[in-house]
Amino acid sequence: MAQQTLLSPAELAYLHSSLSLSPPIRPDGRTSKQFRPLTAETGILPGTNGSARVCLSDGTEAIVGVKAEIEKTVDPLGGEHYQEYVKSASGVGGGDAEADRSAARGEWLEMTVEIPGLRDDDAGTVFLAELLREALLADGEFAKKLWINRRFHWRLYLDILLISPPLSYPLPLLSLTTHLALLATRLPRLKSEGDEDPMFDDDWEAAPFLYPREGATTGPRPSITLLVVAVGDSILFDPSKEELAVADSALAVSLCEVRTQREQGGMEVDSGRELRLVSMRTIDPPSRLTPPGVPSTANLAASGTSDTTQQKQQQRAEEHPQEGVWKAPLGGTRFAVLDSIMQAVLEKGGVADEVLDGLEGVDLA
Amino acid sequence: MADRRRVNGPGGSSLPPVYDDGELDAVSRRQRAPDAIRPLYLKTGVTPSASGSAYLEIEPREGEYGSGMKLACTVHGPRSLPRSAPFSPYMVLSTHVKFAPFATKQRRGYLRDSSEKDLSTHLETALRGALIADRWPKSGVDVVVTIIEGESTRQDAVERRVEEWDVMNVLGGCITVASAAIADAGIDCVDTVSGGVAALVAGKDGDETSIVLDPVALEHDSILAACCVAYLPNRDEITNLWFKGRLPSAASYNHQSLVSRAVQASKGTHGLISASLSEVIGNSQN
Repeated sequence: MAQQTLLSPAELAYLHSSLSLSPPIRPDGRTSKQFRPLTAETGILPGTNGSARVCLSDGTEAIVGVKAEIEKTVDPLGGEHYQEYVKSASGVGGGDAEADRSAARGEWLEMTVEIPGLRDDDAGTVFLAELLREALLADGEFAKKLWINRRFHWRLYLDILLISPPLSYPLPLLSLTTHLALLATRLPRLKSEGDEDPMFDDDWEAAPFLYPREGATTGPRPSITLLVVAVGDSILFDPSKEELAVADSALAVSLCEVRTQREQGGMEVDSGRELRLVSMRTIDPPSRLTPPGVPSTANLAASGTSDTTQQKQQQRAEEHPQEGVWKAPLGGTRFAVLDSIMQAVLEKGGVADEVLDGLEGVDLA
Repeated sequence: MADRRRVNGPGGSSLPPVYDDGELDAVSRRQRAPDAIRPLYLKTGVTPSASGSAYLEIEPREGEYGSGMKLACTVHGPRSLPRSAPFSPYMVLSTHVKFAPFATKQRRGYLRDSSEKDLSTHLETALRGALIADRWPKSGVDVVVTIIEGESTRQDAVERRVEEWDVMNVLGGCITVASAAIADAGIDCVDTVSGGVAALVAGKDGDETSIVLDPVALEHDSILAACCVAYLPNRDEITNLWFKGRLPSAASYNHQSLVSRAVQASKGTHGLISASLSEVIGNSQN
């Protein structure tokens, strides 16, 4: 996925040992929980329902455009009477919008990811698109927003474009851009009622946002996905390409912010934030494909002879990794490591809060 | 203008009737204990032309005919990479997961769709951690998993939209069958990796939640979250973790218990793999 790093085994071993220190020393001088600075703007594409652009400090840049279309709801059985069938089966009376909305389907969201230099049917690209899609739909509320009435729904096309070449694994960048684009998305205001053919207000200013703005807003917000790697005992957020090349394990964690109303002393209402874990996937770290180092004791070019004792030494070197000699990680990740990653992500006032605070500062056009 | 070159179907479509037989609900409840996995049948060496192969069948649910999951896996290689391929100090692993066109209620095309590609990436991550890839430089291995029969062949699955949860079970099966086929091919691994699934389900009254192993989505009212792991029992390590869903907000510790239950499930499957492999060894010695 990420481009092959051209680092020698000695460089990899050096990076790995400095990253496993406590506190870790990262090549760009960040702390373990610090993100790279980014610039973001929304509403850059006038032809879309919502759009955003995010540019990371390492020069990678992504654009997301959201477009919506009206579509007739076809039920899985193909008949016109499906809704009535469902109703009679579940015993729900007419006019219950909440029950109808549960008929919303995740398929109404279509997502494509385009990364320069990679085919769009490349397994890695598909994996990224599925990861982001799953994180958005996992809260179960997103699809319900696309429901218009029992006969029609919105079909939302979310197209993610990475403009720059993929310098590091672009997952956090794409996820943050998607988050902003969805916050900036607005759909035309519905004028018709009930199950009529939908009619919309043609005043764009009156169009409501997909995720309501200011004031008393409750409910889930679009999810964000963070990439976390473990190197030795240290846990690093937002890894760069070089850090990913020595990672023992990588985990993509998707979080969803749920706003809750909390009464505070009389009439004052404070909206608190609650983070919810919606999806998690391990990502194959590119470190497994890095070339191994050869210790000088086992190096024939250095010692000149090859007898049986040396072969034994070579075997021993294969079994027991030496300090300072790079060897690609083997096997999986211990549960304790995964658990500490989850703890670090979900921590109150931790990285996720910091990122969300930063994104809130973006002016939504 | 009408298309005169093709024979088109009539304009209005008709449908085969769907009958609502109300008795189904009683049968389709989960009969097993929450920590029991379904019986499995695993056999290695089913495809003579491949260097390793395995067949896995999961028992159908009670009171139902032939609706369990059936998977076949073939492993080709290790064989030398084509001349045009760049040098690799490791074995190059490529995985393909494909549903047979008739495996699910909705017909699958011959081209792999995005969910199948997604499954192959998961499987690749799960297997790559287990393989000792540096013993096979400059060579490639192809792992091909075919889902001959999926779980949601029935109408209910389409109606109740539980296909998304069945994918987890499919991945668990894929990992198990691929691991057995790799062992059959004699490719060096640190351990046999096995797949396990656990889910958090809402109880009957919709309030009480509980964690079940090896969930069948049709047997439960609603699944809140599910987790699939690929686990190396002897090293106590996880090579692939896939979690999705929404957890009730009160219990934040739930994701940990869900992962550890999934690990429990994969320990159960691991017993099956080793039993099946040792049976093969026993047969060849006689």
